[in-house]
Amino acid sequence: MSRSKEALVGVVILASVIVVTFGTLWLQGVTLAATETEITAVFANVGVIRPGNPVKYRGVRVGRVREITVDPGGELVRVVARIQEDTPMPADAVAILAPESLFGDWQLEITPRDRFPEYRYAQPDDPDHLPGYAIPDISQLTATADRISADIEILTERVGIAFSEETARNVASLIDNVEEVTQRLSELVSQQAGAFTDVTGEIQEATQRIGEAAASARMSFDQVGETLSREELARILEDLAVVAENTREFSGDLDETGSELRGMAARADSTFARVNVLLAQVEAGDGTLGRLLQDPAIAMEVEGTLQELQLLLEDIRENPRRYLRLSIF
Amino acid sequence: MTRILSQPFISMGRGATLLAAGIGRWGMLTAETVRALRHVDVWLRLLVPQMARVGVDSVPIALFIALFTGIVLSLQASYTFTGAIPLYFVGVLVGKTMMLELGPVLTGLALSGRVGANIAAELGTMRVTEQIDALETLAYPPVAYLVVPRVLASIIMFPIVTALAIAVGIAAGWITAIQLLDMSTAEFVNGLTLFFLPFDVTYALIKATSFGFMVATIGCFFGFHTRGGAEGVGHSTTRAVVVSSMVILVLDAFWAVTLL
Amino acid sequence: MSIVIRDLHKAFDGKVVLDGFEVEARDGETLVILGGSGSGKSVTLKHVVGLLTPDKGQVEVDGEVVSDLRREELFVLRRKVGYVFQFAALFDSMSLADNVAMGLRRQSDMDRKEIEERVEECLRLVDLDGFGPRAPSELSGGQRKRAGIARAIATRPQYLLYDEPTTGLDPVTRAMIDQLILRMSSELGVTGIVITHDIDSAFRVADRFAMLHEGRCRFQGTPEEIRETDDPVVRGFIEGRPELLENAS
Ligand SMILES: Nc1ncnc2c1ncn2[C@@H]1O[C@H](COP(=O)(O)OP(=O)(O)OP(=O)(O)O)[C@@H](O)[C@H]1O
Ligand SMILES: [Mg+2]
Repeated sequence: MSRSKEALVGVVILASVIVVTFGTLWLQGVTLAATETEITAVFANVGVIRPGNPVKYRGVRVGRVREITVDPGGELVRVVARIQEDTPMPADAVAILAPESLFGDWQLEITPRDRFPEYRYAQPDDPDHLPGYAIPDISQLTATADRISADIEILTERVGIAFSEETARNVASLIDNVEEVTQRLSELVSQQAGAFTDVTGEIQEATQRIGEAAASARMSFDQVGETLSREELARILEDLAVVAENTREFSGDLDETGSELRGMAARADSTFARVNVLLAQVEAGDGTLGRLLQDPAIAMEVEGTLQELQLLLEDIRENPRRYLRLSIF
Repeated sequence: MTRILSQPFISMGRGATLLAAGIGRWGMLTAETVRALRHVDVWLRLLVPQMARVGVDSVPIALFIALFTGIVLSLQASYTFTGAIPLYFVGVLVGKTMMLELGPVLTGLALSGRVGANIAAELGTMRVTEQIDALETLAYPPVAYLVVPRVLASIIMFPIVTALAIAVGIAAGWITAIQLLDMSTAEFVNGLTLFFLPFDVTYALIKATSFGFMVATIGCFFGFHTRGGAEGVGHSTTRAVVVSSMVILVLDAFWAVTLL
Repeated sequence: MSIVIRDLHKAFDGKVVLDGFEVEARDGETLVILGGSGSGKSVTLKHVVGLLTPDKGQVEVDGEVVSDLRREELFVLRRKVGYVFQFAALFDSMSLADNVAMGLRRQSDMDRKEIEERVEECLRLVDLDGFGPRAPSELSGGQRKRAGIARAIATRPQYLLYDEPTTGLDPVTRAMIDQLILRMSSELGVTGIVITHDIDSAFRVADRFAMLHEGRCRFQGTPEEIRETDDPVVRGFIEGRPELLENAS
């Protein structure tokens, strides 16, 4: 065994130790060169942030989340992050947790409080800790959107089952609800949009459509409340068709977030198509309105479809990897 | 008639008995290897030369494989990710696949061909030419002299070579992404770090270590139990490669089930 | 200081090779074992150092039963025994000098220089001086055989087992090896067992003879006794007359 061979073994071992050590540190985002400092922020809840997620200041990555602990009192969650020492701290700094992208990875953004004064920040007991606020998760948005769709669907059903004055009143209040929900939804969306992320764009648009649909539905049903004439009903149905169309488009948008959704959306599509055909039939004079609206198959299909959509959206949010892997392999 | 019907079952039973006996003898050799660890004076001198043979000499083939795997992964990922999936997932795929699966397994398979065959052929030749008997008569415990340094060298060097292979594979995927896929380094690295867990590295190294252990012990096992001249040596070598490749794949599944 | 083989039985896969072989090599004497090819001579020798375990019976070396020894004790015993393999069994991953030094490195506490000197000396004894750096694959069959002898005698063991030490050598080298065997026993008092087909050389080195035939000891006695025996099997063998053997069986 020559010296040079032994040296070669040494070189290979050293090379691999270096690769493993520095590779791991680098992938974890630990920089050995720059000195780091620790900051702590407190939150009422932390959404889906995990150790390793990036910390940003004005959109620039300055560090990583290290540790998440629930306060012994159970009131607060403490998030410890390591950031570059030279990161400037605004005078009244707060920490905001928000999604970084649609795929479930979150970030912690350090920002002055006056940029988002409207949020209810958790109050730290230690003056050195940052007050924090976690933006509601995108799944809440989609769930709300789903609820609206479900409401519209229930509404359609009611119209069919017993179209009385009382129903009309219910419908009107339901539409109020829809409007309120839509309002909340768009608020959430604008919060999200304001919170340095552009992934919510699509959802925002979708929400807007739902809002429009609901508004037009409201107009129709306002009229329903006053006159329950047959002609009016036909117009209501037309409006409903618009709502259905919009809902369909909304799910079409979501369709792009996962290939699995496509099949489901296709079902929704055909459901709505059937509604349209039936509407056309009504207009053409065959069949009675009551029978059309009471067709339980339609109602069930719509409901089932919407439920599936909701489950799927939740699942995508919780396990983005599952859907990604499906399309990778 | 009953003969014809029962024959397959009898053969199957015999096959199972042989398999069990083989596993048993392998286990005994492994146990003896552990016991032979106390003869430090015998194996210590031989460890570094074996590490050179197992590790250093295998680096080129392992890196060659990793290089092309990285390139292909990168290209195929970009081909798969169309439309909605952002391109930085190329980084996720290359990183995760190299670390969790292809790095350890392809390196393991390449080294089972190289190292496992080498060990089986060498020990087999020593067995049929009575060199192992000669070792015994010179008061060298053959397991300590032959098996221990090879097994230890494999346990040490497999993860080391695997780590280098993973690094090269990821680097190759990265360069491919930049040069051929119009991705930026930032995009690729973003993907690489996105789902990275330190456990990924541990997992890869655990796998590589277990592969090294199995390849070496199986090579030694078939080498030690070689019978009958040059033909016997060839037979042992082939079987060592086939069995250790199969064991690597089974072990791979085992770790996936138990550790992930 | 003797090797006693008692009622040794050994079969391989049902094929009986040794069937109650009994022989004794007394202190300081050289015992030559004769026997046809495939009669089990090498198998017998392997039992002496515990490379094979008997199916029945036992081998006693220095009063210890080889098959009863624990591994450590077996290694202690093996330090006292040098074994010349029939086909040399040189380690082909090392040079000749390293081959010869192997036993010394393990069994003695000589330093590098002493080992080097001893290796030189042993190689000279088998007429291989200057061959130290060569690899076994660069040697002829006869040279390998002699290197095997050098390796076996390097540690100056008390027992030496030679498995056909002169087969395949030219007459001059053969005589030289015989000399070596004689010197080992006269100068170092080695107790030896020599397996050989070479009758001339057998008569040169033997204190006593034994003949292994069909798994048993067919004859045991001094050179004079074997010359005068009228056992057709033994006579046929040493005179090279197969017809006597056929008549006997
Ligand atoms: N490890 C083994 N496995 C199976 N059979 C064996 C083994 N070793 C020896 N034999 C068989 O035992 C018999 C005796 O072999 P051995 O080598 O002792 O013969 P020998 O007397 O030394 O012959 P030769 O003079 O040709 O060397 C042979 O028939 C051989 O086939
Ligand atoms: Mg023989």
